[in-house]
Amino acid sequence: MDRRNFFKILSTVSAGAAATSCGTKRDALAPLLVPEHEIVPGVEQWHVAVCRECAAGCGVIARVMEGERTVERNGQKFRERVAAIKKLEGNPLDPVSGGRLCARGQAAVQGLYHPDRVRGPLKRTGARGEAKFAPVAWDEAIAGVVDKLKGRASDVLFLTAPEVSARTASIARFVQAIGAPAARTCSLQQPAGLPRYDLARARYVLGVGADFLGTWASPVYYMRQYGEFRQGRPGVRGHFVQADSRMSLTASNADEWVPIQPGSERAFLAAIGAVLRGENPKQEWLDACGVTEKRVRRIAEELKQSEAPLVIAADTEAALYVNGLLGNFNKPGGVFGVYASLGSAPQKGDVRGARVLLVDAGENPAYLAPGSLANVETIISFSPFLDDTAAQADWILPDHHALESDMAIEQPVSPKRSVAVGTAFVKPLYDTRAVEQTLADVAKKMSVAYAPVTPEEFAKPLLAEGESWEDVVRRGGVQADAQAGELKVPQALQVQPVERSPLVLQTYLSTQYYDGRAANLPWMQELPDPASSAMWDLPVEIDPKTASSLQIASGDRVGVESERGAIEVFAYVHPAAIPGVVSMAIGEGHAHFTRYASGRGANPLTVADAEKPMRVKISRIAGARGELAQFSPQDREQGPWGGR
Amino acid sequence: MAAISEPVVANAARAQLWRPLLHTSARYRMVVALLAAVTLWGLFAWGYQLKTGIGVAGIRRPVFWAIYLVNFVFWIGISHAGTLISAILRLTDAGWRKPVTRAAEAITVFALMIGGMFPIIHLGRAWLFYWLFPYPTERLLWPNFRSPLLWDVTAISTYLTGSTIYLFLPLIPDVAALARHTTGWRRRVYRALSVGWTGSDREWHALEFAMKLMAGIILAVAVSVHTVVAWDFSMSIAPMWHSSIFGPYFVAGAIFSGIAALLIAMAVIRRTLHLEAYLTEHHFNNLSKLLLLMSLLWFYFTVAENLTAWYGNEPKEMAVFGARVRGPFAPYFWAMVICNFVVPFVLLGIRRLRTIRTATIASVCVLIGMWLERYLIIVPTLSYGRLAATWGKYAPTWVEISISAATFTTMALLYLIFAKLFPIIAIWEFETEVMEVSSVS
Amino acid sequence: MSERTKHRWAMAIDLDRCTGCQACVAACHAENNLPLSDPESAAKGRAVHWIRVDRYYEGEFPEVKVKHMPVLCQQCDEAPCEPVCPVYATYQNAEGLNVQVYNRCVGTRYCGNNCPYSVRFFNWFDPVWPEPLQLQHNPDVSIRMGGVMEKCTFCIQRIKRAENDAKDEKRDVADGEIQPACAQSCPAEAMVFGDLNDPESKVSRMAGSGRSTRLLEELGTKPKVFYLQRGA
Repeated sequence: MDRRNFFKILSTVSAGAAATSCGTKRDALAPLLVPEHEIVPGVEQWHVAVCRECAAGCGVIARVMEGERTVERNGQKFRERVAAIKKLEGNPLDPVSGGRLCARGQAAVQGLYHPDRVRGPLKRTGARGEAKFAPVAWDEAIAGVVDKLKGRASDVLFLTAPEVSARTASIARFVQAIGAPAARTCSLQQPAGLPRYDLARARYVLGVGADFLGTWASPVYYMRQYGEFRQGRPGVRGHFVQADSRMSLTASNADEWVPIQPGSERAFLAAIGAVLRGENPKQEWLDACGVTEKRVRRIAEELKQSEAPLVIAADTEAALYVNGLLGNFNKPGGVFGVYASLGSAPQKGDVRGARVLLVDAGENPAYLAPGSLANVETIISFSPFLDDTAAQADWILPDHHALESDMAIEQPVSPKRSVAVGTAFVKPLYDTRAVEQTLADVAKKMSVAYAPVTPEEFAKPLLAEGESWEDVVRRGGVQADAQAGELKVPQALQVQPVERSPLVLQTYLSTQYYDGRAANLPWMQELPDPASSAMWDLPVEIDPKTASSLQIASGDRVGVESERGAIEVFAYVHPAAIPGVVSMAIGEGHAHFTRYASGRGANPLTVADAEKPMRVKISRIAGARGELAQFSPQDREQGPWGGR
Repeated sequence: MAAISEPVVANAARAQLWRPLLHTSARYRMVVALLAAVTLWGLFAWGYQLKTGIGVAGIRRPVFWAIYLVNFVFWIGISHAGTLISAILRLTDAGWRKPVTRAAEAITVFALMIGGMFPIIHLGRAWLFYWLFPYPTERLLWPNFRSPLLWDVTAISTYLTGSTIYLFLPLIPDVAALARHTTGWRRRVYRALSVGWTGSDREWHALEFAMKLMAGIILAVAVSVHTVVAWDFSMSIAPMWHSSIFGPYFVAGAIFSGIAALLIAMAVIRRTLHLEAYLTEHHFNNLSKLLLLMSLLWFYFTVAENLTAWYGNEPKEMAVFGARVRGPFAPYFWAMVICNFVVPFVLLGIRRLRTIRTATIASVCVLIGMWLERYLIIVPTLSYGRLAATWGKYAPTWVEISISAATFTTMALLYLIFAKLFPIIAIWEFETEVMEVSSVS
Repeated sequence: MSERTKHRWAMAIDLDRCTGCQACVAACHAENNLPLSDPESAAKGRAVHWIRVDRYYEGEFPEVKVKHMPVLCQQCDEAPCEPVCPVYATYQNAEGLNVQVYNRCVGTRYCGNNCPYSVRFFNWFDPVWPEPLQLQHNPDVSIRMGGVMEKCTFCIQRIKRAENDAKDEKRDVADGEIQPACAQSCPAEAMVFGDLNDPESKVSRMAGSGRSTRLLEELGTKPKVFYLQRGA
């Protein structure tokens, strides 16, 4: 569906014209739930939804047509026709996606129709970690949870996404109602509250450590802007320099890549800042990042010369510091403040202290903080999949898939103050229950007064006068013009000394799997890794010099060992890796995560930290079996025997 | 080449040449059983492939063709043994050809049958192979005559028909004679095959004429067949395939491997059927010289083909060339050069070393070398396509290996059965002076 | 000429916008019912991606550059895959699309060998989707059986839908009305689809840009995918 048609539909909808006539094929964004008898073969309907594959909350539209599935009732199998989601596309009205969608967003539909979804509540029957469960009735599961929660409210830790949404608001209300501490997150998603960078109108961009075209903030939003930045303005082509400790997807698109040591992003920006202030950058900063003073001066000079410079960095404080020196706030091609939020996002939390852990769908502490669940007494999971954490749970009370759920999410990167709204339009495939509903059931059983926050209640403050909720639901969200908050600009940067060791491992979020949550989707497993072209696995990336000194070639099995642990992975000799800096993407190495991800590859977080690089030892494992599947094993345009 | 005098008298010859037809040894049965077992295994592998999908073979993107097509080209090459050699020798009236021709012609027919199977075996949907034939359908869909594969179908079916006739014609007087001397089902078969041959002068003249004519025709067909096979590759724009030399290169290679196959077949026949008196050193010596000549010709073509690619230094061609001579395929490449050039050149070029044994060794080497040559033409080009991002490695699976192995046993099996049913040496050619047309012994 | 070429569908890909994010790859899987791979088949080079992003590294550290290039069927005017098919399973349709007729294909794979872009994929086995993944299948796109070739169709099902809609409404297909799944998803809007016969279409204008090149153009295949090189 193209934009023109989409607006046509919306205008008819908002004009009050009933959208159920069968004249044209694309006239439905109307019914909330699609009854089977309304499904006409060959006729498509479009519904709005929200993508939950990362924190950006892109508004999407889903194409619904007929589908057939096998159901078993009373021991008999028969085919059932259902309304099925065929494809997800960006919602053209959404300020974040603007009608576009990234690879992970496209694949979300495979989560909905995943063959290994949890089909109803489960109770653990084996020892913890054995992943043996028995199906139970919802009442029994609710009773089981109540049993674990009663009288232990202070021991409870609720994990949910670091976002502001109807879901997190409901959870906040629940933990408050039962007297438990505030919900936390263990996710690696970028927290809400990032400043907004006007990439599209900038002329010279210096990116520092932020993989904004890959996994940082909202890749879709920033890629849309990037296209405009490069070729969207007649006669103007934005120049792009990326300082990064790895040739990330973002760095690979830069006109100039400045390799800097991992962890030295702030030192690099401090050095740039010093030059902008007319001072000399401290030698220790230059040493820390491994960039020459000449180069720092040149880049700072180019920033200063540009009519619309912009610095985008994962380190928000440092980014604001340098942008502040450039006088870059609240102007086209600059940095804009954060809008007032409808709530507060859960902060990072440590799972280790918890006794009773409630884990929302999408949170996976067993994977992201390996070993952290050892002392947790009770684990209650709401995951629709048997992931690493759910496999250790005592009770699994599966949530609907996001595409079967009602939701409202504040969009942190949106250029407007906005909430994306999605309502269920396909029937839940299985005996699952929305977490909000489960919490209400639990509260009721505990005789605690509690009502979840509905999407409508959540988004209400943004509704303009006279704007109906129906409209919001049809458009997939609500945007309000608002005054952005002031940007707090640091006067100086505190630069921590960066420790350097001969061989360090840094981890990063993968394009395909994000923080591992998309590893259960076969389309993502077979999406070639942008760096190594690996499929169904993620290798550790080693620079050619280190690799040859360790006698490692691409495709070899290697052992990676740190003080924390050891893993065995395939090696990829990365032509653009910084000597001595080994990188590995997070995503594979799940103990449990459906047939497509269980036991595949290795989890780099068992040896390294998600936040800071760690010293490692690497050795080739001789005689190891197996083969690294790569879509394009050849990464140079000519073979080693190419010329005469 | 001067004709030589016949070494034995006609009746003794007949007795000796008929013996294998009438007596079957235990060793023969055992060998047949062994060959049949391998052949059946190959058939099973093919059945498995048909049922499961062509994916049980090791082919992949971008190496869409591999050893099935290698076998195809190889066996079509072998088929040139016969007809071509016997036709050339017949047309040039080389007297020493007489004990050689039928053995050669039989190789042709069987090798063609086997080779012709491979384009079908390699199809993704083998059961629809007949869509490649021009037959009228209700949808008025004809095959695409622009496709070299269709030229293949046409050329190979023509060649198979031609060489079957060419094998059959000189067989007529022999089966007619056999029909008179045998009983039971053999008699019926031989009689049917003798198509009413009485041995009249008119019939002899007609036969002579037909054989001369067929020799001429078959020569043209044989050259064109292997040229067409070469065009499967050279009509493509893949690097190192798009080469004008491929037609003659393939024909030369085919004759080369054909002679080698013939030499091996003769050595085996000579040994097992004790036909030392008929297949003499003289025959081997002459065929060896022919093999040596073809080896030199092959070497010349190979140099011409590779030198131009190397000198031209076109990057896409160099990727394939480099992979062959110093990349992953180098061991095969140099093994091919040794097998096809060094070994025959040394063993057959030095007169002292040229014996039946060395000729056989050289021939085996040539067969290996020629198989490798076809592998090196097909696989590296496909592995190293024009866009480096699409490069990929091919490795055969047990299915491909089983089917390939079975073709060799099938060849041997067909040959053994043929030798059991028909005299492997054309008897009447020895008897042309003293034909006893109507006498019954 | 006029009848045959009412439309000439083509695509322009701005490499300066393309980031190599592979949204197009996933979108294509979702739209076209591509068979799923598994680790073993992927290792054997049998994963199917009608559109792929070729990446090459150039130079050595620290002066190393990365090149991304989405490669899909180039819909050549002089397609090398077409003449070699013995059963006419692939041919050029009236709108210049290089189409593949799955039912007619017998699987000689000659077209795959002869495609210099290597964008043709073969079904080595019958495809399998564990229940209920098949619910996602696009009913507008046929499922391919084992033993046949497949490749990018420029989302012909979307082209047909738009053409039928336009016909019903007695109008011409508007520029930008048709978007193949890859172009539709592209966040950086690097891919533009349209009609080369319309000189005013966006794709025509991009094809005429000074940055416009075609992949392996020297082979004379006359591809209908135009790559706009990076730079001003």
